[in-house]
Amino acid sequence: MAKNITSSSTAEYFAKNLQQVGFSSQTKAILTTLKESVDNALDACEEESILPELNVIIEKVGVGSLKNSDLVRVKVEDNGPGLEGDDLVRVFGEYLASSKFGRGRCSRGQQGIGISAATTWAQMTNATGVKVISKTKSMRLAISATIEVDIKHNKGVMKNKETLKWDRPHGVSVEFLIDGRAQVGGEGGLLTYLTGTTLVNPHLTLHYKLLDQDEVTIERVSNTVPDIPEATSPHPHTMKLGEFIAHSHLFGRVSVGDFLKKGFSRGHEGTLKELVAAGLKRPMLTQSVDNAKEGDFKEVYSTLQKIQLMSPSTKSVLTIGEEALSKSIQRLGDVDFFSVVTRKPTICDFKPVVVEVAIARLKERSVGSTDSSVQVLRFANRVPLQFDKSACAIVKAIESVNWRTYGLVQPKDSIPYGPYVIAISLVSPFIKFKNASKETVDASDELVNELRLALIQAGQKLSRHIRAEDRAFDLENKLRHIEQFGPILVEGLVRILDASPARKKKAEEGLMKLLGRDTKVAKQELADAVVGKQALADKQKLILGIDDEGASLDATGPADEEIPGAVDAKGKTKAEKGKNKKVKNNKVKIEKVKTKDKKGKKKLQPSVRK
Amino acid sequence: MAKGQDIVQVSKNLCQVLLKDLENAKRPILEATKCSLDNCRYDFKVGYLTPGGKKVRTELNVSSVQKMSRAIFMLEIILRNIDTGAVNTKRELYYISKGEIKHNPALKPLDFADQDESDSIIDFICEMMECYREELNCYANDRGGQTYCNQLVVTETMTDGDKAVVDLSTLGTSPFQPKNRPQSLQLKARKKIDYCLVVESEGTANTLVANGFCKRNNAILMGAQGVPSNAVRGWCRLIQDQLKVPIYFFGDLDAYTMQNIYRTLKAGSAASLIRNSDFSAPEVRFLGVLPADIKKYDLNDYPVRENDIQEVRALKKADDALKNDPFFKDKRNKDVAEILKWLLKNKRRCEQQAFFTVNPRDPIMPEKILVEKIKRGDYV
Repeated sequence: MAKNITSSSTAEYFAKNLQQVGFSSQTKAILTTLKESVDNALDACEEESILPELNVIIEKVGVGSLKNSDLVRVKVEDNGPGLEGDDLVRVFGEYLASSKFGRGRCSRGQQGIGISAATTWAQMTNATGVKVISKTKSMRLAISATIEVDIKHNKGVMKNKETLKWDRPHGVSVEFLIDGRAQVGGEGGLLTYLTGTTLVNPHLTLHYKLLDQDEVTIERVSNTVPDIPEATSPHPHTMKLGEFIAHSHLFGRVSVGDFLKKGFSRGHEGTLKELVAAGLKRPMLTQSVDNAKEGDFKEVYSTLQKIQLMSPSTKSVLTIGEEALSKSIQRLGDVDFFSVVTRKPTICDFKPVVVEVAIARLKERSVGSTDSSVQVLRFANRVPLQFDKSACAIVKAIESVNWRTYGLVQPKDSIPYGPYVIAISLVSPFIKFKNASKETVDASDELVNELRLALIQAGQKLSRHIRAEDRAFDLENKLRHIEQFGPILVEGLVRILDASPARKKKAEEGLMKLLGRDTKVAKQELADAVVGKQALADKQKLILGIDDEGASLDATGPADEEIPGAVDAKGKTKAEKGKNKKVKNNKVKIEKVKTKDKKGKKKLQPSVRK
Repeated sequence: MAKGQDIVQVSKNLCQVLLKDLENAKRPILEATKCSLDNCRYDFKVGYLTPGGKKVRTELNVSSVQKMSRAIFMLEIILRNIDTGAVNTKRELYYISKGEIKHNPALKPLDFADQDESDSIIDFICEMMECYREELNCYANDRGGQTYCNQLVVTETMTDGDKAVVDLSTLGTSPFQPKNRPQSLQLKARKKIDYCLVVESEGTANTLVANGFCKRNNAILMGAQGVPSNAVRGWCRLIQDQLKVPIYFFGDLDAYTMQNIYRTLKAGSAASLIRNSDFSAPEVRFLGVLPADIKKYDLNDYPVRENDIQEVRALKKADDALKNDPFFKDKRNKDVAEILKWLLKNKRRCEQQAFFTVNPRDPIMPEKILVEKIKRGDYV
């Protein structure tokens, strides 16, 4: 018989298995800490419809306690709604304490593990927790404290609590002092994470300073906070029997039939009729859920699996939008041209999913030259995925596309080559990650196919540019050929036949006549091709023109900051009703921006034509 | 190009037409026979694949002016070679063209970036003139066809007109190496030769000779060394025409051998449509390994493995060949087509060396089986 069976807390489990949640190496430790802090800040801002402005500082402050490590400060400040003291302790010091767990919305964070794991890492390597400053709208003074995880009991502990004056209306500042090695460049680097995050968050203004590098500011290109749709009820085909039974008791003393109608998306009177038609006895549906036995649930459940149901609603997913993505992609560098595709929300494996793709060619070709792979940026719920690329559904989809038809170089069944950035964003309330540290998305056939379709669409758009360029290049070559090879051909023939100079001259004239006709045609074609190419470029400039306007809006920084503040203020001060108003305000604001855009387009068009 | 025509005259005529068209400001058009399976005809009485009516037209225009001027430039080099009797390989011609360009900067635009480019121009010239490159004094290395025989005497007429007589019986176990240009060879048998045996594997041919095959049999023994080169194909044709002896091919039982080696040897290939008349031996028969031999001699065969890319591909092609290849479609080649069908159905293969399993202690057992098969008429 086994002796000494003990139970452990969730915190103990994670403290021993930090590698499972993104702390498997010293470089990953820094990245994960930054990632969790930024994700939380962005989620918090979006919850309250605040335009996020983050300040990130990562610096070496000394030698770490681990072998070959540095002591690194990771500091993230946001302008989010802030947290009350009690919430601070739970968020930073307790595992699985989250406002987001399993609620079926497209937020970045899902479980409430990440940030507590970062606190644990700080505790384990530097013997102190996380230093937090927080202020909500209703607090006069900000709270400053150090939060630690009580690993034995999975509880947060607050130390050194004090209040202080903070020069901002609301927000949170977190500061970790941890062991690790800060890697800035490369696929798994901090810079890749930050640029990726700005790409899929057009509404984010980000200031960052990494190690000894200069401080960088990336301004927002959209003044619209994405409206995170409410979660929809679960679909009966996505549940297991145990979940089904547990779910049945959340709706009070209702009949089984009512439970099916209330508790599920796509559950209605018609569904009940179909169940009966499929052989389920009607009394089974009219009895109360409290009286139903396990066997009854099993019968209802298995009949439910047999009948055809409509796919779940796609209302719960959010998109970044082609326009915002087009503007945002300009922040990646000097972009030559780009193509952006937002797919309609769809259902993959009974879960709503939306895929967006942005492909850009960078002017500075040396970044990704023709003989190295394109840069792939993967996003799941707007969080960059940076490790274990090959197993990811997104990469599998890229490899399955034949990029050669769009004019890119591609070795068989692998990632194409060239100075391109391919960014793919996957948004879904239920993303199947392969592990808790969110590094790869599980590749189901349906999902890979949906990603593939998006990539093909983007590829087709891209190929229009590339073909126009190639065509112009070809025609230029042809024109050059006529001048170069014509005379050589005649000379060769004359030499072989030992022909007279008179024949040579006549043949040369004849050739020029012939090729002259070709030249005319080629010149016309070249002119058409150039016009075509310009038209494509103009189309993109149109969007970028709006981008310029957007940038000028951003340039009036303080006014901009006031917009979210004002909205927030109204929303915060007037409780429930106020909230509704806030949403309305937000909508009005969106409309305003859109009308501006339209005007912008109209204004721009004639000037482009000229 | 019709047989017996002078290559120089044909080239000059071609240039003449080109120049005349240009003088008249008329667009010159060159026509060449399309060398592909869809333009193959097969008549059992003729015995080899002949071209159909399809032509490839090259018109002088902006896109083709580079190719044409390169072709004329290369033709000039080749004509000079023919004039002086010099010969070259394709690679040498590539370097010669580089040298020409070096000494005449006006030709710089013609420069070849790599050998593939100059090779394709040489092939283009052959297509236009409907000749093979050996006629342009451009030779490949002589691969395969090593021949052993105690009764055969070969007389070679060299380019300068001198003659060399080679008596194969004086060579011991060294082989005679046939040339890519079989027209220059004359054959004579000192004593009656019964047959010619072509063995797919060069190594197995060596073994048979070393074990005394030529001493015991009045026969010609030849190693094909895989897919038969022009030299092997022309050499077999010569043996067939001049000595009038039956020819047997002994190779592996697999789809690759049937399609790429045996078919090419017997009826030529689609790529060499215009010269199959000189480079195929329609009388050659398939001696084995036959599917029936596996059972009869209890040979070691094995299933085609997925990683055997060459054979997997050949099997895929076999299905297509049975439907589209006029050689396999011809009723009088039914026996050969049957073997291909057997291979497709069973997905097994058997190598020629499997005959060594029949009696591992008797080194001349394979020879005995082959001779017995020939005597019995056990071939297709």
